[in-house]
Amino acid sequence: MVPVSQETGQGVSTIHEVLERVCPAMHIAEGFLPPAHAVAWGVASAPFVVHGVRSLTREVREHPESTLLLGASGAFTFVLSALKLPSVTGSCSHPTGTGLGAILFRPPVMAVLGTITLLFQALLLAHGGLTTLGANVFSMAVVGPWAGYAAYRLSRRSGLPLMAAVFAGAFVADLSTYCVTSVQLALAFPDPSGGFLGALGKFGTIFAVTQIPLAVSEGLLTVLVMRLLTQSSGGELARLGVLVAGKSSRAVAR
Amino acid sequence: MLPIDAAAHGSRWRRRHPVDKAVLGLGLTALAVALPPWPGAPLVLVSALALLLGPAGVPWRRLWRAYRVPWGFCLTGAVTLLFEVGGPDGPVGLAEGGPVRAGELLLRTSAASLGVLLFAFTTPMSDLLPRLVRARVPAPVVDVALVTYRMGFLLLDSLHRIRQAQAARLGHASRAAEWRSLAGLGATAFVRAFARASRLQDGLAGRGYDGTLRVLVPEARVSVPFTVASVALLVVVAALTGVLVEVGA
Repeated sequence: MVPVSQETGQGVSTIHEVLERVCPAMHIAEGFLPPAHAVAWGVASAPFVVHGVRSLTREVREHPESTLLLGASGAFTFVLSALKLPSVTGSCSHPTGTGLGAILFRPPVMAVLGTITLLFQALLLAHGGLTTLGANVFSMAVVGPWAGYAAYRLSRRSGLPLMAAVFAGAFVADLSTYCVTSVQLALAFPDPSGGFLGALGKFGTIFAVTQIPLAVSEGLLTVLVMRLLTQSSGGELARLGVLVAGKSSRAVAR
Repeated sequence: MLPIDAAAHGSRWRRRHPVDKAVLGLGLTALAVALPPWPGAPLVLVSALALLLGPAGVPWRRLWRAYRVPWGFCLTGAVTLLFEVGGPDGPVGLAEGGPVRAGELLLRTSAASLGVLLFAFTTPMSDLLPRLVRARVPAPVVDVALVTYRMGFLLLDSLHRIRQAQAARLGHASRAAEWRSLAGLGATAFVRAFARASRLQDGLAGRGYDGTLRVLVPEARVSVPFTVASVALLVVVAALTGVLVEVGA
């Protein structure tokens, strides 16, 4: 399995300690996947990342000032995973931030920001890896954001309130990331007797026990963060298209 | 600054070109993944460790502090290969050949992680990122990565201070307070990131910002002797693995 960070400590005294606790929850570690799988997941991620790079490049060429805002968004995504998340089971882990990122910055941009973040985590924190970057990008920067964004948008279109849609987006993004990671691991390490399905059941069961409560926690945290943002940063949310400009209380699904 | 990046700035190989170190460190990682775990991974592991603690001059305590995190996760990850679901022994039982698979996986991940650490502990991100443009990474993406990298430290510092302030105000005294504090922390990170980007934009606009971030990169040249020696080491490790596999067979 990809190990899951479960913490119970209370205080965090230094930046280093904060960062040592950055969640490697869904990061597949360096060298964990066989070469063929590592390459295959890299190929699978490439079209989404290229699409995101094109969107980002077009945005920056049309609006040069966007570089700084996108950089700020990337930094926000990076530090979001440093927050300690109390789980409803009483333990503690860290949010993935893929749902909130997708709602705020849209999935194509998140594919690029997520890739940059994963690269930094691999090189600066030794979390994840370069050989497994493709697999991690596919689960955390592609499937998570797209699934979360789809859930958010569908919820809004079906008339759910903004905060319910935000919860759905964050919950689905978190859980879908774990599901993809389970599939990746089951494909790489099928059970000798149960095969792929046996391994998927094993990894899925382990993840389900630990991650469904964490997905609920991340959904709740994302709702709380979004509530504060609608109160304090209506302008920025309007610029990002999450809220209708001038009407901070109304929100639209883009 | 993060511990690995701080160590990279003070590394003996700091002035070497990133390509030199990429050939060596990432080459070892590639070998760790591509070669048979036994005896390939132990050879890669010993080579990387010798280079890290020897010529690269990384203090072993600092290395262990960085290495224990991925290693610990590799260890617990390998444990799951010991078991299988739906086998002849019941719903959950010991997997046939599980210990061998787990051992091979542990060797491979341990060696591969050290190869990347060799690169990371000797190459600051500020040396690497601007040079990615020459590797045909689009300049806007490199600029966004540069801003992310530099702003990330400032935001982490802000988070640390806010968390201290919250703790001093009993912001973590109860579960409800913990949730409120956490939400405040996330929202404040967003607000500060965008406020900082806005101020940075104003400052750059006053200096004639045209959409390109120009940063100074320390001059360095690719060292042919270093690169040749690195490739030679990689070839020796691969050849030795092949010989040992043949002898073992």
